[in-house]
Amino acid sequence: MRHILFIAALALPQAGLAASGERIQVTGEVIDTWCYFSGVMGPTDAVVGSAHHTCALWCSAGGIPVGLLTEEGTVYMVLKMEADPASAGGDTNLHIASHTITADGMAYERDGLNYLIVETITADQDIVEQTHDDFGVIPGFAIPEEAAQ
Amino acid sequence: MPPSLPIGSDVLRALALTLAVATPLAAADLPDSLFPTNFGGAYALTDHHGAIRTEADPDGHLQLIFFGYANCEAICTVALPIMSEVSASLSDQGIQTTPLVITVDPTRDTVETMGPALASYAPGLTGLTGSEADLAEVRALFHVERTALFEEPLGGTVYTHGSHIYVMDGAGGFLTLLPPILSTERMVEIVAGYAQSLP
Repeated sequence: MRHILFIAALALPQAGLAASGERIQVTGEVIDTWCYFSGVMGPTDAVVGSAHHTCALWCSAGGIPVGLLTEEGTVYMVLKMEADPASAGGDTNLHIASHTITADGMAYERDGLNYLIVETITADQDIVEQTHDDFGVIPGFAIPEEAAQ
Repeated sequence: MPPSLPIGSDVLRALALTLAVATPLAAADLPDSLFPTNFGGAYALTDHHGAIRTEADPDGHLQLIFFGYANCEAICTVALPIMSEVSASLSDQGIQTTPLVITVDPTRDTVETMGPALASYAPGLTGLTGSEADLAEVRALFHVERTALFEEPLGGTVYTHGSHIYVMDGAGGFLTLLPPILSTERMVEIVAGYAQSLP
């Protein structure tokens, strides 16, 4: 995994101490933030939805934080999913990888990034984006050749 | 060091600081409206030189803390070398930091084994280990979870674990956290911002 580099730079650094949060209800896809921001597996529309589901599981299990990608393109880094709102352990959330969910929680801006602590998942639409129709499986080796035949 | 990748316009949009897409709700029932800052606390572990190390840096440097293990073949192989690079880049700017990795696997990460393992791919990092109980207490201080996934056929447990990098001041107080998906350059910017804000 070390060969991958990622870029997620935007705003100037700010020493944002204890920024106030805002309670929101937001709908989006639970994404693999590594592959989404790195571009290493292809364009962003190829690393969401069904095409990237297996890799999203791998990355989440491997410790990559999940994000919530809204329809408008905003990404929230998820600090916690349906648990102690004061925690930020970077949980794995394999059961909702690639799913489109609606979350009720607290949103924060810090260091130029959006963060979200999900208090409750109020809806789970399963995998909505059927991206495999356009991209197949991303990456291709997610399905071994013998299994694909 | 791997090559940098271009920033696509869609990625820029994704990172734009707008919360307008979400629907604000009336404030109710959520206990903490501030960004969580309750990370860290008093601890005493053993570094890979065999010395006791507490939450306070002996030289008063900023600290970068990651929880992982030297045999990890997933996120640790990314985050730990980046911590080396971030620390070196900050040093070039005159900002001294101490990058630390607190093991989640004390069975394999011992005083004897951690140093050589880290030096092989993350030079400059100091490994901290301890008893399973002591390490569990430190993980609790940082709200880091660790779960055993499976046993490798050749031996050893594969863990999944929290992967944020915690930026702490010289006394062990929390400054911020860094998602491991950030670029080295971005991490350097953020940490330098905090360093400059300290008295």
